Amino acid sequence: MNIVNAIVQGIFLGSLYALLACGLSLIFGVMRIINLAHGDLAILGAFLVWVVTDKTGISPFIALLLVLPVMLAVGYALQRTVLARSLRGGPLVPLLTTFGLSIVLQNGFLQVFSPDVHSLGSNVGTLSTGSWKLTSDLSIPYLGVVLLVVSVAVLGGLHYTLRATAFGREMRATAQDPDTAGLVGIPASAIYARAVAIAVATAGIAGAFLAIRSSFGPASGPAQLIFAFEAVIIGGLGSLWGTLVGGIVLGVAQTIGATIDPQYSILTGHLVFLLALVVPRVKATAPRKAFA
Amino acid sequence: MTPSDKAELWTPSRRGLIRSGLGMAGLVAAGPVLSACSVKGDDPGGGSGQTIKIGFVSPRTGAAAAFGEPDAYVLGLARDVLGKGLTIGGKKYDVQVIDKDGQSDPQRGAQVANDLINADRVDLMLTTSTPETVNPVSDACEAAGVPCISTVVPWEAWYFGRGAKPTDTKAFKYVYHFCFGVQQFANAYTTMWPQVSTNQKVGVMWPNDADGNAVRTSLGPLLQKAGYSIVDPGAYTNGTNDYSSQIAKFKAENSEIFNTFPLPPDFATFWQQAAQQGYQPKIVQVAKTGLFASQVEALGALGVGVAGAAYWTPTYPYTSSLTGISSKELGAGYQKKTGKQWTQQLGPSLALFDAAAAALKAAPDPKDKGAVATAISTLAVQTPVGNLQWGKGPNGNVVATPILGGQWTAAKSGKYPLDFVLCESSSDPNVPVAAQLQPYRA
Repeated sequence: MNIVNAIVQGIFLGSLYALLACGLSLIFGVMRIINLAHGDLAILGAFLVWVVTDKTGISPFIALLLVLPVMLAVGYALQRTVLARSLRGGPLVPLLTTFGLSIVLQNGFLQVFSPDVHSLGSNVGTLSTGSWKLTSDLSIPYLGVVLLVVSVAVLGGLHYTLRATAFGREMRATAQDPDTAGLVGIPASAIYARAVAIAVATAGIAGAFLAIRSSFGPASGPAQLIFAFEAVIIGGLGSLWGTLVGGIVLGVAQTIGATIDPQYSILTGHLVFLLALVVPRVKATAPRKAFA
Repeated sequence: MTPSDKAELWTPSRRGLIRSGLGMAGLVAAGPVLSACSVKGDDPGGGSGQTIKIGFVSPRTGAAAAFGEPDAYVLGLARDVLGKGLTIGGKKYDVQVIDKDGQSDPQRGAQVANDLINADRVDLMLTTSTPETVNPVSDACEAAGVPCISTVVPWEAWYFGRGAKPTDTKAFKYVYHFCFGVQQFANAYTTMWPQVSTNQKVGVMWPNDADGNAVRTSLGPLLQKAGYSIVDPGAYTNGTNDYSSQIAKFKAENSEIFNTFPLPPDFATFWQQAAQQGYQPKIVQVAKTGLFASQVEALGALGVGVAGAAYWTPTYPYTSSLTGISSKELGAGYQKKTGKQWTQQLGPSLALFDAAAAALKAAPDPKDKGAVATAISTLAVQTPVGNLQWGKGPNGNVVATPILGGQWTAAKSGKYPLDFVLCESSSDPNVPVAAQLQPYRA
């Protein structure tokens, strides 16, 4: 029965990973940038939601709705000011840029918010602590279900947007070949800016849920980045449904590993990730067609 | 270089990008490594004048930044007094305190220590908070022959963690330490836990890190000797995001006492999952996390009733010998100045300066590093954390100071939501006990 509980908890944990990974996946898919500041942008979202909640006393979910436009603007500005310039410097420069951005963000948080840790768990009442206890060994936490629903909605919504809307078509065209897309009147810079805006907004959502599920401080971002990155790779680069699956596979691997020995929890996740890298698969080997 | 040359040099292949991305992601996960720009001292010959220079290294940024938070206040208090100079052997010396940020990173800690030693030519080094900062600073001082006083690293981790053998009676010549050890934890736990009736089964979550492993090998046997049975599911990795398997084990074994040495986010995740999955021990004894009020406050209602331990509180009946500030005044002064609740770190940080001033005064020549080191080895000094006396402790370099058990309770009055009340003082009976341990959410 423990193994069933482990799998169930793993799915909910994986939903969080998928939510964290989806912005990473989107930016990589469209712009071929690995955004190393993604974890810290999630923490930025967490801090903003915490500030709004703390100052006004409203629910973190309503606060998140207020913060989302801010995160969209942050992402848009980030692309227009920093990433667009670094993109011109070849593929390694954006990597270094986002690495630097990560350090700047962490120290910025420390300056503005002090090293205190915060959590939004207590602001959502029984949602964070309650569960349906099916048997003595198997419980379904309310928060886990909300996480699963939200991550399916966000990743599904993005997937649908990419597949079925004119904007999505433009984004896919730019992802495949920005120059040719430009020839037919789709400016890559505008598409990139919108992609980063959306990615940063999803990071904000993930950050809010991270803050509800645990506690966070100025230096919490990088620890989560590695899991998000692994989820993207396991699921296949550039595929949003793949990222959802990748996140859940990673989450379940960690919880099953932990039932064998708590020491193996994170290790099992890393092993699954390495396996995904060495085993050639259709999805992982076809990223160029990902958004096509 | 033409654009095509460039493309050949670094073909943006997907595998390559993943590889470098992963490397960089690992680098990010390893913490912000800032190795740039060290501030050089303006006066390399300062070591020969009539100014005594004291170096102070603590983590002000990075993962352990919470420890360094009250530093600015404590440094201010120390500088107020030391700025007037010290009269030693009828001779007046100016005293300069140079503080540096160890950034919670061992490499950075070693680097700033070496800067202080070689560029600023400090006569005495002080350092505090976590092995990541303190151990490399102590190593640098021992190697360079600069006297150093340190605190807030469990003394075993400082002494044995830096290569001392259990048979050594005094492994180091220049570096001295005062802090609690595993024995003080055992005293606190075995005195406090009987205050609540339990089945004496202790579920433990000790991580796979320096603290966790030291606790597993040293504290575990002491608790067993005191009649507790240990339910240990195994070491977990810091940063784990799911604790279902441990919770299942604690529930199956009915562990009515729970003990852990986690990082704050890991405890928050665990404790929320424990609530979801119906594990509620009678005693929740948390170390490391819960040293600072904000870490418990963040848990909201779940944090009220969590038991912890303190190496200093404003109720300690001791006064700083350098500044004349009592423990009560120290806590109140910090709250008034910063608006934030007192933290345990205030006591030992100020104690470092008490010990520093006493050591400089006890040495025949405060500019003679060897003489200062010798003076510390037999030093007796009153500080906010108690009366420190070297030469009588577990070994020649260490004074074992108390850590006392207590509980986070909802504050009855005042602007802060939580209060830390001491429930036992077995390691230092002079400290008043405020209350009995209450069962978690009784």
